[in-house]
Amino acid sequence: MQAPDAFRRQLLAAIPRLRRYARGLVFDAAAADDLVQTALERALTHWHQFDQRRDIVVWLVGITHHAFIDDRRRERRVRVVDPAEALAESDLQRYEPAPDIALRMDLAAALARLPPEQREPLLMVSIEQFSYAECAQALGIPIGTVMSRISRARTALRALLDGSECAPPARALRRVI
Amino acid sequence: MNTPSVIEDNVLSAWLDGELEPARRAEVEAWLQQHPEAAARVRLWSADRDALRARFASVVDEPVPQPLARSVWARQGYLAGPVWPLAAAVAAFVIGGVAGSFGGWQWRGQYDSANAFARAASPAGWVQRAALAHRVYAAEQRHPVEVNLATTAETQRSEQEAHLQQWLTRRVDLPVKLFDLRAEGFTLVGGRLLPDGPNGVSALLMYEQPGGARVTVTLRRAAESVPAAFRFERQGDVGLFYWVEGRAGYALAGALPRERLLALAQSIYAQQPTIPAESPR
Repeated sequence: MQAPDAFRRQLLAAIPRLRRYARGLVFDAAAADDLVQTALERALTHWHQFDQRRDIVVWLVGITHHAFIDDRRRERRVRVVDPAEALAESDLQRYEPAPDIALRMDLAAALARLPPEQREPLLMVSIEQFSYAECAQALGIPIGTVMSRISRARTALRALLDGSECAPPARALRRVI
Repeated sequence: MNTPSVIEDNVLSAWLDGELEPARRAEVEAWLQQHPEAAARVRLWSADRDALRARFASVVDEPVPQPLARSVWARQGYLAGPVWPLAAAVAAFVIGGVAGSFGGWQWRGQYDSANAFARAASPAGWVQRAALAHRVYAAEQRHPVEVNLATTAETQRSEQEAHLQQWLTRRVDLPVKLFDLRAEGFTLVGGRLLPDGPNGVSALLMYEQPGGARVTVTLRRAAESVPAAFRFERQGDVGLFYWVEGRAGYALAGALPRERLLALAQSIYAQQPTIPAESPR
């Protein structure tokens, strides 16, 4: 029971968005790609469970979420890495200095400090532009829970950014709006 | 329009995400006009959302890394599942005749993917180390193991077996069982400890046939308690079956045909002690 080529092409097309989602989740490009790899392998194993009427990215992000949970369980036992540190490091390596580098690092560092329970729905809705229903599906939680976690995530993220010296909120406002 | 005196943040947040029914949406919009502080807060959330999008936007424009593209086309994807029942995995092996039957390109993909599995299910290289240990010690004539049952007097054998079992269990921090493979024609030679990574140790059990063929079973505490299906890998003339069950990772190595190894792996699987996973799924 091999996955059909059409399904593999769908997977291939979804990789860029999966990588983006994973990057917001694990803060290290290599670790994020490992996570994507695990998700792809699981997707190939369970390809027959995918309902073609659904958005494959939603399905894959759900698988990525589960792989992430499994990873964290393992990480807790073998090593402890401060996600904010790993993020700052990868930022320094990956991104060319830009006028707003302080702002971007601060935003990402603040994101890293959110508990994953809040970070995941925030990423899904803000970046991947999932509906709450899709987000609930991917995480396997009720829509009402999605709604309250996103709201708490926003409040927490804002509090973190407000408390930071590098990125006064006014600047974020000026830059984006 | 009558507007409520208070609207909770999670409703405002849902409004920002376009998740409200039209009537409720209009209500929130009217309320926001009368509550500039709340409106300012929502504008900040909106700014944060845009900033998040901008922060990760470039990732989708990066080319797909080769290993990821390869894993999509790997032909053994169906064996990678961590929750596959053993019987199904075994059936897939027998029917599919997977390992070693592909051309170079596909083999490469399979190999990479097996490595990814090894990374996912156990710290990198454990399977390779198990193969290496097999190569080194199975060839050893005089000191293949540290606790040697083959040279133990018959009267002291059960005592020595108990000692070996307790010693390995204590050091590996897993209930180690001395599997009985006599039904498959293999008797236990003995066991030894192997260094495994910076802090870990693995236990190695060695078995032999009267004819001299030896197989080794390497056990370690698995990094991941999620069960992982049988995987097969061939490294030169040494074939390996490896899997994760409970908190234990197993690797069976031997220079034997796949079918013979599979029979041994099944026998071990049937005998392995039940180890509750530390954190159930």
